[in-house]
Amino acid sequence: MSLNPILRKVFLVDLFKGMSVTFHNQSENERVTEQYPMERPEIYERYRGQPRLKVNPENGESLCIVCNLCALACPEQLIVVKGERNPVTKRKYPVTWTYDLSRCMFCGLCAEACSTDALELTQDYEMALYSREGMVLDQEALEQGQEPVRYAK
Amino acid sequence: MLDAITKYLGSNVTPGEAGSMFWATIYILLITAGVSLAVLAMTWLERKILAHMQVRMGPMRVGPHGLLQPFADALKLLTKEDVIPEGADKIVFRLAPVIVMMAAFTVFIVVPFGRTHAATDMNIGILFMLGVSSLGVLGVITGGWASNSHYPLMGSLRSAAQMVSYEVAMGLAIISAVLMTSLGTVGTGTLSMIGIVQAQADQHVWFVFKLFPLGLMAFVIFAIAMIAETNRAPFDLPEAESELVAGFMTEYSGFRWSLFFLAEYTAMLAVSSIAVTLWLGGWLRPFPNFLSGSAWDFAFSLVPGLMFLGLAAACFLGVLRMPKIPQFKVQTIGLAAFGALLAFIGLVLLVPGVRERAQDIFWFTAKVAFFQYCYIWYRATFPRYRFDQLMKVGWKVLLPVSLGVLIVTAIVGVRQELWAAITGVTR
Repeated sequence: MSLNPILRKVFLVDLFKGMSVTFHNQSENERVTEQYPMERPEIYERYRGQPRLKVNPENGESLCIVCNLCALACPEQLIVVKGERNPVTKRKYPVTWTYDLSRCMFCGLCAEACSTDALELTQDYEMALYSREGMVLDQEALEQGQEPVRYAK
Repeated sequence: MLDAITKYLGSNVTPGEAGSMFWATIYILLITAGVSLAVLAMTWLERKILAHMQVRMGPMRVGPHGLLQPFADALKLLTKEDVIPEGADKIVFRLAPVIVMMAAFTVFIVVPFGRTHAATDMNIGILFMLGVSSLGVLGVITGGWASNSHYPLMGSLRSAAQMVSYEVAMGLAIISAVLMTSLGTVGTGTLSMIGIVQAQADQHVWFVFKLFPLGLMAFVIFAIAMIAETNRAPFDLPEAESELVAGFMTEYSGFRWSLFFLAEYTAMLAVSSIAVTLWLGGWLRPFPNFLSGSAWDFAFSLVPGLMFLGLAAACFLGVLRMPKIPQFKVQTIGLAAFGALLAFIGLVLLVPGVRERAQDIFWFTAKVAFFQYCYIWYRATFPRYRFDQLMKVGWKVLLPVSLGVLIVTAIVGVRQELWAAITGVTR
């Protein structure tokens, strides 16, 4: 717009421009917030959230073979895996599996290192807890996944 | 006794003119209740519209679309602890919100919501309004001083400086509108609020469009000065959050704070009604010339009822669009009930007897409501002025322009007489 700057000032052109912007913002299509507990945001596929340990759906055995690669890959060294060997199948299975979520920075290196794709960082983002102790996940919590406390009226 | 009460109903003047004590009291109570209700609605609207302009949703939880939010706010404020700072001047501290409140509410005595819908018709109505509404500054200053704290004192001093500088321009703009009442067929100027509106009716023009663009310029000056006068954004320096915490209200809490809050919104309504009365034709319906005749009168008298029905329809549309989740069931029913209430009011307003009486109030309220929307709109759009900029706008721009408008209006108003005096030709 090539209006004389004095005319622009006298007729408050810039102020009216700003007002038109805020007026058009009132449209519902412009809305960016949502009613969180009722409407949930769509999470991107590559988002790294709550860790999950997968089990074989056929027999319920853990896919983890206690290779310890995740624990080695973890820059924070928050993963501790101990396992024993099954004498019949010669396959190792985890005995203790802890994952300290309170120190995790969700870099995803553990999931990348996993040789059997057993460990995965899922798209669950509701990980708030009432105590620090609860953030140290054991094997059961990692396999079941934590159910967030649902909002109820 | 009963005769004295019923006699008024047949008359066509305000209770003050008729000298009816009883009806004046009723009117005052009704106006106080109505204004308080309007303030409640304003707080909800402000939060909602401001949120929408900032691409948020605003209050949604307390009642359908947050409709009960003002009541929740009021409850919160009333149950808060009532703190008076140790070093404060306790009497003055208690007095300040009362002064502000009374100044804000007293103004409404002379506001004409319709030809008969005013507590009284004072012959110096506009002067009374200006004088009383300026008293609010006194409350602000005492409040800031009595708190015995730095920020409130600075806030109140800013407020004093600001109000003094903007009241001058405001007064000059008002005088130029008062001058206009003496033009044309009537021939006598008036300061009475009802008289000013009737002058606009007799001259068949709202004063915004009178002597174009002089009326418009005076109106714009007043519209800017009234924002500064009520300490609203972008002139909200006395309570600038980023600099002065909450300005003169910093030490106040609970009920006393809510009195300040109530007074601020009431003052906004009051100055908007001055603007509506002086320039936008008060209770007169729009397009009195171009769409005149009894058919159009009838059509415009239907507008209030139809508008309420439209609002009710919007509510029912909202009911249909509510998320179908069990948690929202109560809210959906509440919204439907609110829509039903609006529809009921709309149907009542369509009844012939009510229609004629209520349309004055409706048009006045609609115009004031537009100003309230603008207040929120400005707040969402404009950043706050710096203090020196504020003073510059007040003294270097608004004051000279309003003085110029006043002089030119006076000259144009008496142009024929002037011409006659210069040329010596009398008509």
